[in-house]
Amino acid sequence: MQKLINFLAALGNPFVGFILHLGGIFNLFLEIMLSLAYPFKKPTLIIKEIYFSGVRSLVIIAISGWFVGMVLGLQGYNTLQRFGSVSMIGSLVALSLLRELGPVLTAILFASRAGSGITAEIGLMKATEQLDAMSVMAVSPIKRIVVPKFIGGIISVPILACLFNTAGIFGGYFVSVVLLKLDNGTFWSQMSDSVSLHEDVINGIIKSFIFGIAVTLIAVYQGFIAKPTADGVSSATTRTVVGSALVVLALDFILTALMF
Amino acid sequence: MQEYSVIVENVTFGYNEDMPILKNVSLKIPAGKTVAIMGGSGCGKTTLLKLISGQIRPSLGTVTVLNQEITKQSNKQILELRKKIGMLFQFGALFTDMSVYENVAFCLKEHTDLSESMIKKIVAMKLNAVGLFGTEQLMPQELSGGMSRRVALARSMALDPELMMYDEPFTGLDPISLNVSAMLIQKLNKALKQTSILVTHDIESSLKIVDYIYFMADGKIIAEGTPMDVQNTDNPMVRQFIEGKVNGPYSFEYKTNLDYNTYLGIL
Repeated sequence: MQKLINFLAALGNPFVGFILHLGGIFNLFLEIMLSLAYPFKKPTLIIKEIYFSGVRSLVIIAISGWFVGMVLGLQGYNTLQRFGSVSMIGSLVALSLLRELGPVLTAILFASRAGSGITAEIGLMKATEQLDAMSVMAVSPIKRIVVPKFIGGIISVPILACLFNTAGIFGGYFVSVVLLKLDNGTFWSQMSDSVSLHEDVINGIIKSFIFGIAVTLIAVYQGFIAKPTADGVSSATTRTVVGSALVVLALDFILTALMF
Repeated sequence: MQEYSVIVENVTFGYNEDMPILKNVSLKIPAGKTVAIMGGSGCGKTTLLKLISGQIRPSLGTVTVLNQEITKQSNKQILELRKKIGMLFQFGALFTDMSVYENVAFCLKEHTDLSESMIKKIVAMKLNAVGLFGTEQLMPQELSGGMSRRVALARSMALDPELMMYDEPFTGLDPISLNVSAMLIQKLNKALKQTSILVTHDIESSLKIVDYIYFMADGKIIAEGTPMDVQNTDNPMVRQFIEGKVNGPYSFEYKTNLDYNTYLGIL
């Protein structure tokens, strides 16, 4: 009997932990929503976060987008050639990037580059009593630290996704037109015929906006609950990257089902 | 002016109900006085400071700070109250992404509408008071431990708080920095006529600058009095602490149910 109880407890503990984390994230989200006005009184806080999260991620996002576009161009060319539809390569590259790969990969790269940094920064501030000091000085760390990072994240991710898509399209163009000698006009005309501004471009941006909220929220939450030790901060940054990737992929499925 | 800046009455607190850190603690800090809370590591001194600053709330009892019973206050009211409280953390807790100037100006920028030129002058005055005028542009990483502590002192004094709390202000300082810190605390307290609470292990420096001392052990107040009373006390725990004796009622060994010899298989 005791073994059964232990078995059920072992099953239940992670579930209870998951529910507690969900509750914690929801509470933090509510606190952020109630404090959204604060950083707009000090816009430099938001600009600094956009620089840290967005501007400093530009290179990694552009290079990744370029290579993903090149792979799409190469794989698409080889596959479409079998069916005599090489002219569709422009559409394939653009739709794959705008609808799925752009928002998803940008969010995952953002979580790895900026999200982990946000978690580590908040976790270290906690470990070195900086958050306590701020709180004792009658300044809410949620308003002063978390909200600017949150706003910086949700502004940066959609812009980075657009950059990823642009770099990807040019990567696909480089492989299919410059290297594999597909007609330049065919590449662009097929793309412009098949891509819808609302259906593909706007929906892609909405997706990346939602991913931005999810990734930034996970990053700040993990920073806040990190144990104030080197090991605790290290584990928290890992949880940010892994958790963000899983949440982004799950959300992507739900959003794709709703949008397309 | 109120008679007492802080009144702690029958306070019990623990992060875990089975292991209370503070057990029915009562103390009174008179306004305008410098009071030390002393005791060995882990006796609950810093927890007491956290209760007074409203960072945590007691499981039982009441805490009244500057005539406001913070156990009954909302978070917003506690934030308001904290504008009148300054706290120096053990290792300074300077904001590492801000320069010395930005650290000291932090509270002024957050809680006042003063112009930048006025804030600049106040920061210069505060830094001058701790002997660090001219370090405005330095980053916390460029400061020594003693300098960081003094910048943190200037930052905590920025709004001229009515109540100042020092958490182990002398820990890890060389003898010169230690004496400088003790002298600064005394000088600033007298100049600003504020109430000060010092949580410390350092007997020699503290006895010179405090008006009254509470001794804590195992989450309780075990003795209290003026520095003279404490130096002449017969309380064996206090005597052991002051004289730094290894043997006495205060054991440095961790309390455990395990028997060392049995554990090693000797018996």
